[in-house]
Amino acid sequence: MLAIKALPELPLTEVLDLALQAGLLVHLSGGDTDRAADTMRRIALALGAARADTVVSSLNIGMTIERGTERDTAFRRAPHVGANFANLSAIQRLLDELEAGQLDVIALRNALDHIARRKPFHSRTLMALLIGLSCGAFAALFGGDFAAVLITTLGGTLGVAVRFLLLAHGFKPVVFAICASFTALLVVGLLRSLTATPDAALAASVLFLIPGVPLINGASDMLAANYLNGMVRLTMSAMIVIGIAIGVSIALRFVG
Amino acid sequence: MHAWLIELWAAPAALGFALLFNVPTRALAACGMLAILGHACRKLVMDVGGADIVFGTLIAALLIGLVAEWWGRRQRDVPLMYAITAAIPMVPGTYMYKAVQGLLGIAQLQANAAGEEILVSAGVNIVKASMIVLALAFGIAAPHLFWPKKHH
Repeated sequence: MLAIKALPELPLTEVLDLALQAGLLVHLSGGDTDRAADTMRRIALALGAARADTVVSSLNIGMTIERGTERDTAFRRAPHVGANFANLSAIQRLLDELEAGQLDVIALRNALDHIARRKPFHSRTLMALLIGLSCGAFAALFGGDFAAVLITTLGGTLGVAVRFLLLAHGFKPVVFAICASFTALLVVGLLRSLTATPDAALAASVLFLIPGVPLINGASDMLAANYLNGMVRLTMSAMIVIGIAIGVSIALRFVG
Repeated sequence: MHAWLIELWAAPAALGFALLFNVPTRALAACGMLAILGHACRKLVMDVGGADIVFGTLIAALLIGLVAEWWGRRQRDVPLMYAITAAIPMVPGTYMYKAVQGLLGIAQLQANAAGEEILVSAGVNIVKASMIVLALAFGIAAPHLFWPKKHH
């Protein structure tokens, strides 16, 4: 790697800091285990470390880097929150530029700070509406009629709103899954006389909660032989599905 | 509605989740189109090829994985962004929900009633859902499983 020679020698602590910051961003943005580990190692090596060993668990990330006789280790707490593909793409581009020698340390640090600070592209309201429409689209895919699409969209949107509200107040996944699925199913259940295909509407109304990213990432971690993180992600998904089912069965007792 | 036109609903189904996953606006159209492509491919394999839903999902997911890898590299984006968003309409939410929903029905059984039927139907749904998820993950991960990167 030619880039290494062009860079002045950085203190190891600083290399470690930048690598962990990028790894943390990848982990928090829904990257799988390999991607987080790979990001940290590539940054450390590109910034002059001779050797980098990483740890990525579901709650912490850490690494030890070595250069000559020096050695440094650090860990960061890394709770899993969700998916942010814009961040993953941005970090991948930074890595490519860094390894190609087009990016210096100051620019890298500024870019990482910028990624960590920037807000989601889309507003909460727009998200709630379009995720509600996603549920309506699922109702159509399940063979529902137009009325089913409409009431599922309404129920889904209200459910997403409840989910965002509870998430913002720091409730755990099971709790917001129960409340949000209860809301969505109650709304659709009360309006189901409007449609000829109530089953499609009822089944689709809670799908906004299905944890697609942890499910697919978890299964893909298992296939990539990252068994521990794979199990953690699959368990997380299972808890949300159980929450959905609890919310649904409570709501069904109200609407019959 | 014409049976094939229904496949177009895969795009809005994927787009809501794309927003949730903070996919940049410039990439939304590609995500929607890939979602339709995947979902229609599954229907084609099942209707014309006579395959079951698991095999249909596997073929569709392989297609999504390969197209996402090619398009993602071309756009200098993370291929996973296109692959996961496009796979969302095929996530077997209904099977999972039916399975757990059925299991909770055990709570309403009479004191001495047997619950085999509930267990069997829940078990079938769980196994089916797991196979579909595994097929999805395998298809999406296929480019990395078959062409592993060497560690440098």
